[in-house]
Amino acid sequence: MTRYAMVIDLNTCVGCNACMAACAMENQTPVWKNEWRTYVHDQEIGTGEDVLRRFFPRLCNHCDNPPCLSVCPTGATYKLDNGIVKVDEDLCMGCRACAMACPYDARMEVTWDDVEKGKAFYGSDYRRERPSMDKCTFCDHRVEKGQKPACVETCVGSARMFGDLHDPNDPVAQLVASGVARPLLPHLGTKPNIYYIGDVKRRG
Amino acid sequence: MDINMTFATQEIWTWWIAVYLYLGGLGAATLVVTFLTDMYLKPHRDLVLWGAFSGIVMLGLGSLMLFIHLLDHRAVLNVLNPLVLIRHPHAWIAWGTQFIIWMMWWGLFYALPYMIDSPQLNRIPLLRRLLKAGFIAKLSGRCCLRFHKTIGWLATINGIGVAVYTGLLLQSFPAVALWHNPGVPLLFTVSAFSTAMAFLLLILGIVIKREEDRPIRVFYERTDVMLIAAELVILFSFFHYMSAGSESAMHSAKLLWSDMGWLIGFIGFGLIVPFFLELRCVLRGSRGHAPVMLAAVLVLFGGYLLRHYFLAAGVYAFPW
Repeated sequence: MTRYAMVIDLNTCVGCNACMAACAMENQTPVWKNEWRTYVHDQEIGTGEDVLRRFFPRLCNHCDNPPCLSVCPTGATYKLDNGIVKVDEDLCMGCRACAMACPYDARMEVTWDDVEKGKAFYGSDYRRERPSMDKCTFCDHRVEKGQKPACVETCVGSARMFGDLHDPNDPVAQLVASGVARPLLPHLGTKPNIYYIGDVKRRG
Repeated sequence: MDINMTFATQEIWTWWIAVYLYLGGLGAATLVVTFLTDMYLKPHRDLVLWGAFSGIVMLGLGSLMLFIHLLDHRAVLNVLNPLVLIRHPHAWIAWGTQFIIWMMWWGLFYALPYMIDSPQLNRIPLLRRLLKAGFIAKLSGRCCLRFHKTIGWLATINGIGVAVYTGLLLQSFPAVALWHNPGVPLLFTVSAFSTAMAFLLLILGIVIKREEDRPIRVFYERTDVMLIAAELVILFSFFHYMSAGSESAMHSAKLLWSDMGWLIGFIGFGLIVPFFLELRCVLRGSRGHAPVMLAAVLVLFGGYLLRHYFLAAGVYAFPW
């Protein structure tokens, strides 16, 4: 069984934010209120002359044990067999418990007002009809067709790699197995499927 | 991997969810204490009617706070169906919603025979006509009166469920150390029953005002003193738990214990002052209603502040 995961190499992310733009256009997110399914933080690490600039992309971690799913009272949050965590907008009542439960700040709300703005912003192609909580889906509609998620496809530095953890020949599975790529906040028991290759030690 | 941590509070669930948690716990505990008093301490029609009505209104208002702020009100139907407990038994909001709905029904059924007998309620023309309707009389006689204690206990179980749920809901969010620990349901349950005692002391002292209810008032005062003491002990444990350990907890501790609203408003005027006011009445006997009434108002005020500050001080530790 396929288990999708993403490895993000912080050494090669140049902070161009193309991933954010590609995701927003692909998934029609409410960019007018600065809400993104994936976001790249721009940080300065260090003091004095010894300062590094780091770009830190983040998105839903598609956890194996997702707290957003267990708190969802309507069953709107669900997980596919391939590990992708999704939201059914017809079932979601928007109580926001998922946003409170997520340790990765990966949830955002889409209101009735956003639905109206979306129709104006994205035009007749706009797909959403109801408000709900929203999140990254690993672009599962693209993955189904054998394509990569939009953020991976567009990444100029190849900082984002997408693959199958259960395929030992997949470079993503190999990076994770080697221990070079590591998850965020593993102590919370969420078993996330986004892995990061650190940058500070290499640059140092 | 070297990571920078960012510590942030949330603005997703603010005062309106604090009101939901507060009224949910207070309303449910009010119904429980009222019915247990009526079943085992002293049968008391007026107390049941006031307790049941105000409890149901509080549960309704609290639920309304949550409902108003939903993104899609139509989709609430998905959580009103009792089968939600089979489909999503891991979601505390599903349990809480069902507990609240059933609590309101059991509260109404328990109070129904008293409503039919109440001269005050029968003075209201529309209500009198409704209470005299055949099916209401049958429901009251064949079900409510016949199974009065069973209904009382079903209400009690549901009410305790609601009070515990208000804490379990916060406990289910793993990212925030202040919330994700077993002390929260305990603290919120004790607080819910303490505020319910305070509320019923106000009802007995201001609305019902009968000298023969003195034993009930004394019992409520004594119980409330013990509940406030328990709350102080739990908060002391929280202080030590938060002072060392995870960064999230330490940041929450800094927020809470340096805030005058928490320290003076909640701990001072919401717990310590009413504790000593009620303790004085318990030890030396009360001289008039005023000190107990003041203590009750302060406890009710403190109950809200507890939930307000707990939601506001939850700190997320983001790894970026």
